[in-house]
Amino acid sequence: MKLSKKVVLLGHFGVGKTSLFRRFIDDAFSEDYKVTLGVQIKKKVITLPSGIELSMVIWDTEGHQEIENTRKSYLLGSHAFVYVFDLTRSDTYENLNDDIAYLKSNYPNVIIRIIGNKLDKVNEKEIKKQLKENATPYDCLTSAKTNKNVSDFFIELAEELTK
Amino acid sequence: MSIDGKLHFNQRIQLITLSHDGIITTTDNNLFSWKKGSSIYDAHPFFEILRGFLLDDENTITEYSFPCIHLEENNLERICDVTIKLDLSEIIIMLFDYTQKYNELNQIAQQKNESILKSRELELKNEYLVEKENFKNNFIANINHEIRTPLTGIMGFIEVLEKTKLSFEQEELVRIIKRESKHLGALIEDMVDISKIEAGQLNIIHERFKFHDLIKGFKETYTKIAEKKGIEFEMYVDPNIQESLISDKTRLHQILNNILNNAFKFTDEGKVSFTIAKNYQRTNKLSINFKISDTGVGIPEKSIPKVFERFTRLQNDQRRSGTGLGLAIVKSLVEALQGDIKVTSIVNEGTTFSINLPFQFDILKTATPKPKKKKKFKLPTSDQKFKVLLVDDEEVNQYLVMKILINHGSFYVDVAMNGEQAIKYVEKRFYDVILMDIKMTVMDGYKTTHIIRNHYGDKEIADVPIIGFTAKATEAERDKCLKAGMDDFIGKPFEQDDLLNKIAKHLQKKTAQ
Repeated sequence: MKLSKKVVLLGHFGVGKTSLFRRFIDDAFSEDYKVTLGVQIKKKVITLPSGIELSMVIWDTEGHQEIENTRKSYLLGSHAFVYVFDLTRSDTYENLNDDIAYLKSNYPNVIIRIIGNKLDKVNEKEIKKQLKENATPYDCLTSAKTNKNVSDFFIELAEELTK
Repeated sequence: MSIDGKLHFNQRIQLITLSHDGIITTTDNNLFSWKKGSSIYDAHPFFEILRGFLLDDENTITEYSFPCIHLEENNLERICDVTIKLDLSEIIIMLFDYTQKYNELNQIAQQKNESILKSRELELKNEYLVEKENFKNNFIANINHEIRTPLTGIMGFIEVLEKTKLSFEQEELVRIIKRESKHLGALIEDMVDISKIEAGQLNIIHERFKFHDLIKGFKETYTKIAEKKGIEFEMYVDPNIQESLISDKTRLHQILNNILNNAFKFTDEGKVSFTIAKNYQRTNKLSINFKISDTGVGIPEKSIPKVFERFTRLQNDQRRSGTGLGLAIVKSLVEALQGDIKVTSIVNEGTTFSINLPFQFDILKTATPKPKKKKKFKLPTSDQKFKVLLVDDEEVNQYLVMKILINHGSFYVDVAMNGEQAIKYVEKRFYDVILMDIKMTVMDGYKTTHIIRNHYGDKEIADVPIIGFTAKATEAERDKCLKAGMDDFIGKPFEQDDLLNKIAKHLQKKTAQ
């Protein structure tokens, strides 16, 4: 069976959405920061153990400090939102709970996942403690640079999208 | 506008029509050469979105706009605004190529975001450096405590050893151990000073003091050293300088002592001269110049800018010990006192340090408080030995204090390993005095003192003199000890006589009550 699912990467600018996108799609990484204007779209076809061939169409959107500023048309027809924040910049997850609440209320049928990126730049134990203390929710901590947890995250998401 | 001068409005627009199964029925190929008859879903993943719109039976929207979509074909990227119109018979897609406009906007966004990210990065770096600095300063403060404790033991036992019968060779060895231990003590002091300077915690205390007495002290000390080294020591003090001045006496002493010490260290023949002259005086303020010149080894010209840097030791001469911190501390202290310091030097001819420092003085003559002389206390007469409880978890300290007190012959000593044990002891037996260490495992000195002072109705227990006993020899620590209910405080390392004097003072006080 072949399926096509739209996954949108959201979050502040400079949190590493494009790096995660490139790491997952092309297995590439660059230290240079290049701003994303509008949206870049790429597709990765994954064959799951169940035999389902899933086309993950990933929309890498430009970063916004407030989720409401993301163009609504980019979110149309989405199957999953991946909210990315930067573990080294607390301002990128200060409003996370509000942003998630906004997405849940406006897109109740869309799967929402949260990623803390740039794990290579912080002490994992310390940051986990800090996130717990601040009641910051997350599903996965990743490093697009070192490829830590990136593929696993998207494959788990793919499994979920086919359920 | 094209090169032929005509307007071509459609040149940056591509119009595509599709059937409902996504097959391209017409295209003008203005931007992308997607073939008629091919599937739009194969053209670019963006168009996959169409599947959703077409599958949704409840969808009533017929037109969608998507700004700023990156579309690629054959490695050529165009940034387009896309409009999709859903019709009953066909789907119309309009692509508006705004690559140039978006690229210009992209540059602005890039600059803006980069500068925000950069400033955040700098903030983070700064936070990291501050954290690192704090860690370093705390480390130095802690290591200072850890070194002071064994050093107290070493210095104390040297004193005990000195008073025993020693051969000439043993006396010499003890003298060397003593000298080196003092040097280690001085190094710790330097490290603490540097960490205080770096942490901005160096407190300048302005007090009235007898300036000429302080200078006289230098004359006495360094005349002896000069005689011992076989060099001359010349001193001139401007007689117009007021008898009493206001500044930080301790830091002034530290500055001058450090420079004089260096001058003598690096001068093997010739002389050291110390000149003190008034620069100027206005109302109650004056500036004094201190000039210390020697005929020593001198400093190479290229090394002069480095002399005030930390860990700078210009002469690689093992005979001349030093941490390389002294002049760095001197410079920081001079600056903290709002003064300036300069150095001039010629190799093999000598070095001159010139320091200008501001002072204040009283226009109306006021009595300068006489420096407190250490009062000597005698133990009260008793036909019984005095009972001392020593509370300390360091074996070396226990042994040292016991040795001092037992050798003295007037004391009976109990030792408690911690506060909890001390409480048990005071409940069983009355003591004449308690020597209480502060930093202990199980229960510290503050808490133990608090319990002794507040939990017992029996005055013999509650009012027992308690002398705080700590490796942190700071004013703040002293205040903390007194606040906790202790009667006095003695910093480690201490001298035997000081310890005995403090004990005698409180025993006398107790007897008088």
